[in-house]
Amino acid sequence: MCPGYSGTRPPRCRSSSSSSSSSARGTARPNPALPAGRGGGGAQSHGTLGTNRGAARGSLTRSAAHRPQQRGPHGRPPQHGAAPEAAGRGGMAAVPSGLFAVYKAPGVAWNRVRDAVEARLLRELNAAPARPPRSRIRFLPAASAGPPGLVAVRVPVLAEHRLVRGPRFTQLKIGAGHRLDVKASGVFVLGVGHGNKLLSHLYSCHLSKVYTVRGQFGKATEDFSDTGKLIEKTTFDHITREKLERILAVIQGTNHKALLMHSHIDMKTQEAYELAVKGLIRPMGKSPPIITAIRCLQFALPEFQLEIHCLHETQQYLRKVVHEIGLELKSSAVCTQVRRTRDGVFTLDDALLRTQWNLQSIRSAILDCQLRVKTELEKTMGHWDGSVLQEMDAETAHTADS
Amino acid sequence: MAAAAVRRALRAARPPAVSQRGLAKPAGPPSARQLREADEASPIFQYVGKAVKRKDRVFVWGFSYSGALGVPSFVKPDAGWKKPRRIQATPYRLETDEKITSAACGYGFTLLSSNTTDITKVWGLGLNKDSQLGFQRSIRDRTKGYEYVLEPSPIPLPLEKPQKTRVLQVSCGRAHSLVLTDSEGVFTMGNNSYGQCGRKVVEDEIYSESHLIHQLNDFDSRVVQVVCGQDHSLFRTKKGAVFACGWGADGQTGLGHYNITSVPTKLGGDIAGVNIVQVSSYGDCCLAVSDEGDLFGWGNSEYLQLASVTETTQVNVPRHLPFKIGKIKEAACGGTGNIVLTEEGAVFVWGYGILGKGPNVTETAVPEMIPPSLFGWSDFSSDVRVARVRCGLSHFAALTNRGELFVWGKNLRGCLGIGRMEDQYFPWRVTIPGEVVDVACGVDHMVSMVKSFM
Repeated sequence: MCPGYSGTRPPRCRSSSSSSSSSARGTARPNPALPAGRGGGGAQSHGTLGTNRGAARGSLTRSAAHRPQQRGPHGRPPQHGAAPEAAGRGGMAAVPSGLFAVYKAPGVAWNRVRDAVEARLLRELNAAPARPPRSRIRFLPAASAGPPGLVAVRVPVLAEHRLVRGPRFTQLKIGAGHRLDVKASGVFVLGVGHGNKLLSHLYSCHLSKVYTVRGQFGKATEDFSDTGKLIEKTTFDHITREKLERILAVIQGTNHKALLMHSHIDMKTQEAYELAVKGLIRPMGKSPPIITAIRCLQFALPEFQLEIHCLHETQQYLRKVVHEIGLELKSSAVCTQVRRTRDGVFTLDDALLRTQWNLQSIRSAILDCQLRVKTELEKTMGHWDGSVLQEMDAETAHTADS
Repeated sequence: MAAAAVRRALRAARPPAVSQRGLAKPAGPPSARQLREADEASPIFQYVGKAVKRKDRVFVWGFSYSGALGVPSFVKPDAGWKKPRRIQATPYRLETDEKITSAACGYGFTLLSSNTTDITKVWGLGLNKDSQLGFQRSIRDRTKGYEYVLEPSPIPLPLEKPQKTRVLQVSCGRAHSLVLTDSEGVFTMGNNSYGQCGRKVVEDEIYSESHLIHQLNDFDSRVVQVVCGQDHSLFRTKKGAVFACGWGADGQTGLGHYNITSVPTKLGGDIAGVNIVQVSSYGDCCLAVSDEGDLFGWGNSEYLQLASVTETTQVNVPRHLPFKIGKIKEAACGGTGNIVLTEEGAVFVWGYGILGKGPNVTETAVPEMIPPSLFGWSDFSSDVRVARVRCGLSHFAALTNRGELFVWGKNLRGCLGIGRMEDQYFPWRVTIPGEVVDVACGVDHMVSMVKSFM
């Protein structure tokens, strides 16, 4: 009565994914008393075909009796849950996790950039070849030509077919670091998967960011940029580089004072003195925007370019600073470009261009920056419990494996 | 027909509007063309011309009730809503008629001087109980003088050529002041109970409301610097010699004895024959710098100021201080602490009190360097160096080459000008809207001469 299936290859059950060996194992012999649709499966992947057949036999037999026998050849029970699914139906298609930086172009909102990266990653992850569909043995009525009875037939499990279930990934958790407004451009840090947790840790490190800001003397506008409504035009031929640098020195001085004051350290302690000598006093909580360093890179009337290192700033604040520099110089200035060249540990070299927003480059970018992010977090949060750092170590091991 | 003609005429009479937005068109961000047209149509304003000159300003801060700040409304408010301001904690601009080239802060009073050839060259403000500001005739009673001068008031100097002589420098002590001119010697006024004004001590002399201003001309060469200690005076001449007069109980006159001197006498000791280029004193200790960068000190040493060379607490002969810190460029003496600036731009402090190296360093006999990063030096701005150092009675001030003022020390009645009333244990920036050119430190107030940015 039983069909001859001794020559068939055993189907790869799901539990075999976590162990890398895929050599021949014992056949998961389906119990003839039970519907064959249960072979090696977890709870989720039941196709309707199997269920229907099982329903004919009665549900009790399905749930209680068969589970202890549904063991893979290694005796390990099949694992439930989606996690193994993500990790290993095709090792190359694993979801990356970590922090990386992209270059945001001016004129596009930050959430569009985030969505575009997410869409691109989803497309590539879904396009990655899935592992070959499982098959199962079903006992189907024999062809009308031959003798009546059931014939063992190998059919693919349609329950796992892509057209039935839809794409494997419909959503990726991509978080954004410090945002950039529409007119600004530059390094934009994104976190994917488990890296999102690191985003908040990096934020609490309160690292400074570096911007190059271009300005133009002679105009004052409503929103401090050159595309705003014009308020006033002024002369600027009296401005020299020396005068500009004098103003920048004062800005740096007053901001340095604000840096020390907002760090909420008692200035009367020896600890405060030692930190001030090393220059390590920094506000580690919320504070108004503070410029830690500012200098003039280029000066060619009416245009000039500044490099600004700042904390807790917004790009509009930097445009306001340009406007105020113009006022101090008894003229007026508008900001023509705000470009972030560095965000904490991520520099322009680490930022991925639009042509590089693909899985491979993102993965390698994450790997490149991992060590730097880890050392920075350790330096700042050295006194915290090591749980975050342990997570990071697990991350490193995980991505190294896959 | 007629109505139409009227309407046409009315429409023609109205001037055409500059930019008409039809109501059918929605408002929105200006297009590039609109921006360009607005740009070209608007007038250009000129706020300053190409040859704009930087203005000279004076900023004061500290204790105001003595009148030393020169703002009468702080002491006697002139409007109902104003309240008396005992302490001005941040720099406040003082309006002056002339450009002030030299300022000095004494114990509760200030002298401001300008090197102009006008008749009025020196202004005094603050305490005048010993006529340290000369005779300030009271308006209410023409025979009496003011005890407190609340506004900068001219000091009438008995100059022979008032329209040719220039005042180079002023200096103030506890109750006396010195005015240095370029061709008529030194004028002294104020208390003379210890001979600090360089004239014979008169017993039971009444110093308040006194018209007496003494002139000192008898030196080996022209006097180029005058310095007032607490109750003594030091004169440095062009030949590099130092003269002293006044109280000597701590040896601050450096003449080899502990008595009063009422006639300026030349100092000997280790500075005999040495070309001294700078002298400094404010309390009872004195420092002198030679042209080769050596440092000499004499006077009070109770606070370890001279403990590196001697155990005695009063040194009445100038002694060479062999510190191995490099060539000294400038030195400043305070009440209990001293500060020097070397040729490389390093700042060293020693003595007693809040020295600027944190709360733990309260006394040291050997100079300790204050790290340059506290003065704004960093990898980013590595050309910042300290250019001048000054000392008040219990606080210090340093000026950098970028025109920034750093202060530290005891914040007596807000004299640091940092906006807080607490003591400052390491150098802290004072926010002044301008580039600081010079600063004068007193006991509880400070005066700074500032150039505006533009």
